[in-house]
Amino acid sequence: MRLSRRALLAGVAAALALPARAAGPVEIVMQGDADGAHVWFDPAGLLVPPGATVRWTNRDPGNAHTATAYHPANFDRPRRIPEAASPWNSDYLLPGETFETMLTAPGIYDFFCIPHEHAGMVGRIVVGAAPVDWQGWPDGDLPAAALAAFPDVGAIIAKGTVPAPGRPA
Amino acid sequence: MKALSLIAAGLVATAGVAFADDVMQAPPPAPYAAVASLVKLPDFIPGLGTLYVDPATLPAGPFLAYDHDGKLVSTIYMIPIADLNPDKRFDDLAAPGGAVDHVDIYYNAGHPGVEVPHAHLVLWHVSAADEARVAK
Repeated sequence: MRLSRRALLAGVAAALALPARAAGPVEIVMQGDADGAHVWFDPAGLLVPPGATVRWTNRDPGNAHTATAYHPANFDRPRRIPEAASPWNSDYLLPGETFETMLTAPGIYDFFCIPHEHAGMVGRIVVGAAPVDWQGWPDGDLPAAALAAFPDVGAIIAKGTVPAPGRPA
Repeated sequence: MKALSLIAAGLVATAGVAFADDVMQAPPPAPYAAVASLVKLPDFIPGLGTLYVDPATLPAGPFLAYDHDGKLVSTIYMIPIADLNPDKRFDDLAAPGGAVDHVDIYYNAGHPGVEVPHAHLVLWHVSAADEARVAK
C-alpha cells in the first residue's frame, strides 16, 4: 500500500499537531463478546507521538489475550514494526490485567493476540507519521483474517483512532 | 473361563475412564485437570463455568464444566473449524457426564489451549433455565 500525497501531508500535519509526549498511557482494550465468537482490540488503529506509552487492558471477562508485536523474536512472526523498534510481548493477560510499552521509533507497528490471530484480532499503531516511502508490510504468512483486519494507515492518521472491524454491531 | 474373560475385558474397558458418578462433582478424577492450571485462562469462565480436561484429549476434549457449587453442568467439545474437512474425523469422544438435556453449538474465535477458531459443542446436563448457574 503506497500512501497518497494527501495522506502523507495529513500525516505530517497530524504529527506536528501531536504533543511531544502524551500525558499518560494511551489505552487500548482487549474485548470479546459473551460466547467468544468476536474478539477485538479497541481501538484497532491508533496514532501516537514518539515516546508515547501504550497500555493494553484485558476487559474480556471470559478470555485471555496478548498484545504481541509482529517480529521474528515473537514466535518467528514476520517483522511489521520499524527496524529500530524493540519488539514486545505482553504474554497472556487475564481479565483486568494490563501491559505497557513505550514506542519511540517513528513508523508503523502491527501487533496481534496470540490465540486470536487467526480470528483477525490484530491492531496497528502509527507513531509520529508513516515513512515517506511506506508501501505496506509484506503479507508474509499472516492469516487472511488478520490481513483483512489491519486498519488503513491513512484512516489512522486522519482520524487518530480507528475502531475494530471485528466488533459486533 | 468365559466369565473371567468378560471381567478382564471389563477391567480394561474401565481403566482410565470416568463415569457419570465420578464426574458429577468437581474436581473430576485424574487424568482430568483444571484448565486454568494448564493454560492461562480464568478459573471460572462466564457462560461456561469452571473447566476440566484430560490434556491428552486436546483440543477436542471433552471439557467438563462445573458451576460455582462444583456441580457438573455441561460437557463441551472444541472442534477446530479447519479440522471439519473430508480427511479428518473425531470418533469415540468420551461422554462421561450422563444424561443430556439439550445441546448448543457455536463458533468461538479461540483461547489459550485451543488457539484457532473452533466450534463449541455444548452438551448441557441441566435445563436451559439452569444455564444461568454459569452465566457469571
